[in-house]
Amino acid sequence: MRNLLRFIVQHHFLILFLLIESFSLFLLFSANPYQRVHFYNYSHSLSGRISIRMENIKDYFSLRNENRKLAEENAQLYNRLESSFTRIEPDTDRKGDSLTTRTYQYLTARVINNSINKQFNYLTLDKGKMSNIQPEMAVIGSEGIVGIVKSVSDNYSSVLSVLNRDFTVSAKIKKNGYFGPMRWNGNNPEYATLVDIPHHVNIEAGDTLVTSGFGGVFPEGYHIGIISEFRLKGGNYYEIRVKLSTDYRKLNYVQVIRNLARNEIDSLENLNSP
Amino acid sequence: MIKDLLKYLLQFLVLVLAQLLIFNNIELSGYINPYIYVLFVLLLPFEVPRVVLIAGSFILGLVIDLFMGTPGVHSTATVFMAFARPMVLALFSPREGYQTGTLPRIDHFGLEWFVKYTVTLVLLHHFTLFYLEVLTLHHFLSTFLRALLSSLLTSLILIISQYFIFRK
Repeated sequence: MRNLLRFIVQHHFLILFLLIESFSLFLLFSANPYQRVHFYNYSHSLSGRISIRMENIKDYFSLRNENRKLAEENAQLYNRLESSFTRIEPDTDRKGDSLTTRTYQYLTARVINNSINKQFNYLTLDKGKMSNIQPEMAVIGSEGIVGIVKSVSDNYSSVLSVLNRDFTVSAKIKKNGYFGPMRWNGNNPEYATLVDIPHHVNIEAGDTLVTSGFGGVFPEGYHIGIISEFRLKGGNYYEIRVKLSTDYRKLNYVQVIRNLARNEIDSLENLNSP
Repeated sequence: MIKDLLKYLLQFLVLVLAQLLIFNNIELSGYINPYIYVLFVLLLPFEVPRVVLIAGSFILGLVIDLFMGTPGVHSTATVFMAFARPMVLALFSPREGYQTGTLPRIDHFGLEWFVKYTVTLVLLHHFTLFYLEVLTLHHFLSTFLRALLSSLLTSLILIISQYFIFRK
């Protein structure tokens, strides 16, 4: 017993180190992605105020750019207005019916925390449950897709960024409709990798990639990026390097998309799986 | 004694805030992220009880983890660095040892000593940190490069900052 005590006293530094280090490692390894997001939400309620102040300051520096983007978006939206089209079918008067119900609803939110230099990047938005945001909603910016809502607290939501090694999206080549999963590879925040495109498909550098709409999270046709280079992998499939269209360093305002048909689709698809 | 305690508490706060508000926003081509908060561990006095050294480093790492949403990553790396500090100090000890009343600072032991001391510990910290963050040997080389370049940048920032903080 005395020997044991002496041993402990002699090596207290090493023992203390091992104890604390194993506790840290326990924290590290016990956190699965879900708990990670909760940890993040919790820490966010601590750091939320500071982040908002910081973002307020940063907003000033990007005002010019944001204004330009908003103006461009405005122009696009004006183009879609009914008043910018002439009607040329006056014989029948059509009204909206059950075929033209609204499927997607958009909600603007501000990015108050964002990182691009980790392997598992998350964004935090300044809206949450109170604004009807729920997990699994899509998030897009003015230049393309941004991520998927992972978890929400009352006033904030945490978004799995495209720049996260856990993120996958089904991407479609716009000109011919072939699709495959696209992932970020953890290195450069400007590029991602698209796989599973068979070798007979005709692709070129510069082709546009959009969301395929499968999986029910992202609506179809949102910009992802363009093909920058590709090579055959294993003879049958292309491995394609995609230049992402969104600059994730400069995200500021984003749109959260709510799929109103989501519940119906989910419950229908659940019927298939036992 | 109380004055010293307050001084180190203030150092802790300033470094954490500088890391979170300024240095986390610095990122060069996705590769290089400086983590300057380790300066707190570097500057603790020679006579600091080892229990305090380890516990302080753990709290520092945990606070950074909490704000960055990375449970355990920074605390593991920082505690490891604190554990290595006495050995690194012994390794680079001057011939007559460390006199009482001196501090591990550039104005007490000179540039060469401080560079060796800082670079060694920062390398230990950053390599632990970057490999724990990816948790795989898949991207061994790119992680190696990121850790190495970030360590060099962190060390450079720390060494230059010493000339501003402890002006003679």
